[in-house]
Amino acid sequence: MHVWDALSSESKIDFSAGENGRKNTSAIAYMTENPNLTRALLARLESLEPISSFENAKVTSIDLGPPQDSPGTLNLSSYPHVTTSSSTSPLVARLLIGADGINSPVRTFAHIPTRGWDYDRHGVVATVRLASRGGSHSQIEEAPKVQDNVTAYQRFLPSGPIALLALPGDYASLVWSTTPEQAARLKGLDPADFAAMVNAAFRLSVVDVDYMSKMPSGQVDELAWRLQATDVPREDETKYPRIIESVQEGSVASFPLRMRQADQYVGERVALVGDAAHTIHPLAGQGLNMGLADVASLVRAIEYSVSHGGDIGVQGNLEAYESEMWMKNNRMLGVVDKLHKLYGVSWWPVVGLRSLGLGTVDKFNGLKGWMMSQAGG
Amino acid sequence: MSTLLAPAACQLPAAIRISTIGSNKAFTVLHRPPPKYKAHVPLTNIERGALAVGSAVISLVHPRRGDLIATLGETTSTPYFIYRLRDAMLSSPTGRRILRDRPRVTSLTMSLARLRTFPPNSVGRAYASWLDRERVSPDTRDNVRYIDDEECAYVMQRYRECHDFYHTLTGLPVVVEGEVALKAFEFANTLLPMTGLSLFAVVRLKKQERSRFWSTYLPWAISNGLRSPEIINVYWEEELETSVEELRMRLGIERPPDLRGVRETEKEARKAAKERRERLRGITVA
Repeated sequence: MHVWDALSSESKIDFSAGENGRKNTSAIAYMTENPNLTRALLARLESLEPISSFENAKVTSIDLGPPQDSPGTLNLSSYPHVTTSSSTSPLVARLLIGADGINSPVRTFAHIPTRGWDYDRHGVVATVRLASRGGSHSQIEEAPKVQDNVTAYQRFLPSGPIALLALPGDYASLVWSTTPEQAARLKGLDPADFAAMVNAAFRLSVVDVDYMSKMPSGQVDELAWRLQATDVPREDETKYPRIIESVQEGSVASFPLRMRQADQYVGERVALVGDAAHTIHPLAGQGLNMGLADVASLVRAIEYSVSHGGDIGVQGNLEAYESEMWMKNNRMLGVVDKLHKLYGVSWWPVVGLRSLGLGTVDKFNGLKGWMMSQAGG
Repeated sequence: MSTLLAPAACQLPAAIRISTIGSNKAFTVLHRPPPKYKAHVPLTNIERGALAVGSAVISLVHPRRGDLIATLGETTSTPYFIYRLRDAMLSSPTGRRILRDRPRVTSLTMSLARLRTFPPNSVGRAYASWLDRERVSPDTRDNVRYIDDEECAYVMQRYRECHDFYHTLTGLPVVVEGEVALKAFEFANTLLPMTGLSLFAVVRLKKQERSRFWSTYLPWAISNGLRSPEIINVYWEEELETSVEELRMRLGIERPPDLRGVRETEKEARKAAKERRERLRGITVA
């Protein structure tokens, strides 16, 4: 993984698997596309019996149950009742897990407030196809092809980081955090100009990137001129991602970037996981990892209740999950938020200090190993 | 010195030697990298510093040495300043067009015969008559040699070749006094250190001229230089038929007080003051 700062040409950090402390691993982290994850989850659900799943259904309301009719009958007044569009009678839950995203209806139902702020930034995502390095020379083809598309690249531009994460084959996943106006302009570009713009964002100076991102069209031509006019040392070609050849049709999308942390992760018969509990800036790619860690922790808490004959929905039994994850997630949210703010500054003394800091960290393999173990989950 | 350095340099591992030659950051005089453009002379930091100091001192003693002023301009433009100016050009649509087209101002590209036929108040005509009056030609400008980045070298070249247009635009004459005022304007506008260093030439002005510089021309230069957009981004080749007045309006530049007129007025004022003083002395004596 190669990370560098657009405002300071010398400032970079490299992470590679096998550095001190992580000798037995072959990769820092793996990228997977959402459809793969969804498929695996569905396959797992099918193997578990009996599980009811409701397809093509929408939750229409979540309420507490009606008050007890008369003494001696079942009292479900403190149980969440979920009404869906496909069933007539509500589902009564002993434990309702909200994994329903940043605007979580479950969280609203449980009256759990969230704190945080919106970054004035949007994340532009796309799947792109990479060209082979240095054209199709025979000597290049002899080089081990497997090694060619395994490095992740991230460059910190003043408006936000742009990252390219390797996917199988010649594909890569793009995440570009930028201002809402620029995100709108990027989405409006034609595919060739969009690809040129991404190439420019990794290779050209901040001034060029700013200028080109404001052009309504013609980025292809502009990039060709700037690449030839800019002094890019040839031997450093591996410091940049491969040239992006094309953008997968319909894959360009954007979403607003926010930071949120729910005051509580659990309530009476309610638990929140993933984005419903916390939302993070994507610059460190931690959103999914944090959600997965939530689930693992919640499963442990539930297992404990079950094996000890407890009620899995009682808040007291769920608190093990919250006490394990809340502070941990809060720390990660804080670190990523500060990184975003640190790299949002263009004032030269700050740029100098952060370059010094990054350069120092780059020299300590042990520290980098620890950081990788934190980031890789 | 070189005999002392030679053995040490030979002992460097090959990889290190190659890497130092590859970058333009550090090399010894024994391993000078090849030029990056036609007139380029790659310099070590020590050489660049020595040239800067030397050219600064001698050009202060001999202000007519344009070559030394050019050298001073190039050797003091890095780090930072020439890159800043290049980025200013890259931020403007016209500036980008100039960098892309790379127009050069020479007697071939600027046909003086044609410019002389333009309307009297046009930029082209004013430029031609200015060249005629000063008996200079666009070809008297040296090539940039000491700036390592090829594009930045062009930016310096462009600044140099457009300097005569700045005279046309501001109407400042080429006497040392006007030249210093124009350099102050350029400094406020381009931030190039040489233009700032040239202000030391103010010590060579007469007392009267110096006070005029401090009270009138320096304030004019600073306020106008800072207020107007980067004049490096003016595509002069496309403005030849524009009237000087209109261009000045567009750039938000006020015409400075006419230097000759000011000189006349000051002279009269001085005379009047002298008479008054003498009258006063006569009264006190009486």
